[in-house]
Amino acid sequence: MSIANWFTPTIALARIAWLRTILYLFVILDMHAFVRDTRDKGEHPGLYQPLLLARLFDLPKPSVANTTVLYVVLIVACLIGATNYFPRVAGWIVAPAFTWWVLIGMSDGKVDHDHLALVIALWVLPTVKADSRGITSYSDQTRSEAAGWAIRCIQICVIATYFLSAVAKLRSAGWALSWPGSAVLTWAIVRRPHPVGEWLLHYPWVLHVMQWVGIIGEFCSPVILWLKGRWQLFGALFFLGFHAANTAILLIHFLPTVVCWLAFAPLERIAPWFQARRSDRDTGEAEDQAEHGRQAEQQAGA
Amino acid sequence: MVTQSQAPEVVRVGRVGKAVRVLVAVAGIGLLINGSVRASDDAWPFGPMSQYAMSVPDDAKIDYTRVSAVTDAGTTVDVPLNIEGAGVARAEIEARSGEIVKDPSLLQQVADGWARKHPDQPKYVKLELIRDTTQLVKGRVEGPPTSQVLATWEVRR
Repeated sequence: MSIANWFTPTIALARIAWLRTILYLFVILDMHAFVRDTRDKGEHPGLYQPLLLARLFDLPKPSVANTTVLYVVLIVACLIGATNYFPRVAGWIVAPAFTWWVLIGMSDGKVDHDHLALVIALWVLPTVKADSRGITSYSDQTRSEAAGWAIRCIQICVIATYFLSAVAKLRSAGWALSWPGSAVLTWAIVRRPHPVGEWLLHYPWVLHVMQWVGIIGEFCSPVILWLKGRWQLFGALFFLGFHAANTAILLIHFLPTVVCWLAFAPLERIAPWFQARRSDRDTGEAEDQAEHGRQAEQQAGA
Repeated sequence: MVTQSQAPEVVRVGRVGKAVRVLVAVAGIGLLINGSVRASDDAWPFGPMSQYAMSVPDDAKIDYTRVSAVTDAGTTVDVPLNIEGAGVARAEIEARSGEIVKDPSLLQQVADGWARKHPDQPKYVKLELIRDTTQLVKGRVEGPPTSQVLATWEVRR
């Protein structure tokens, strides 16, 4: 039973509301900045090579018509979902639609590995029944196991992205640990040349240190699921630093995974914090007014 | 400070709901592990996280594939292999280079993509798929890359 409870912690519904807004808006950004060639593929399906999921569900070959409809449906559903009005209906539209969008984007011989957590997040978010709608949902402190399960699934996928990439590094070497001492970063920089990386080419040992730090971090990443408070924050900051380094050296940003780190953040505290600040200020102003009042009385009495 | 007047309400899921959720999560983890241990990129999103996962030996030859074009203005240019350029990403060309070598007509869409996105620029009349090879010696880059033409395509109008 305790294992079952680990998968369903009680988490405030407000965190789900924040994630809905952030992730649905992020999907719109993603469609224009990252997986942005889906509609081009509808126009020129020449290199289209359907992936397993597309074959399993017998999805039609991308065309101008179906990719345009997909685009419009996604934008509308994301905008609705982001408001937290009808978030479940919108969410159940966004999940399959965006999965298909990314599936087309990656159906030409190259698959990116930064979308796992985001795609799974879109599938689990609509499973959570909202108690309140719109703006009030951001401060809904009702703790829910359904919310906890959705959050846990996103967290697992974020961590899996790192842990499983360490596994892939062992597998590709025939289950041996040769990756961190190899010339992989040199290889990557030669193929994606830019100033920071090219400067580092002169110092292969620095690249080896980075490879070791990376793979050890990836292997230890599951620990973060059990860390709490500031230790979990340190873990998250380590990986955000890891992405910053990757962006500087290789121009690989992994933002679709990075945004899902927010599933670890206590977003439900934003509204109470904000309200507390405001009521502090209100109390302050009230005291000021009372003070003025007293002064006025004293002056009147004088 | 706002004082919490009462503990927040807790909504639990029923026994069935909880069982289904745990099963789905465990099945998902199973799919992910299966993907990483046995599957290929084809299994997306449950495939292996294999980007940059290979061990590159210290004496490797590093290949970099590009497309060079002769334009109707008589110039030779490197085709910008991205969505804004020719509408095709370099990774796609690299992943399909074997097929392009067998059937160079696949390069036609590079010319079409360029012409469509840049109607006011010189058109491509001839395309070459070129592989630049950089040699590593003891993990360091040794000298400039050597180039080899893999496929040539005279663009159809």
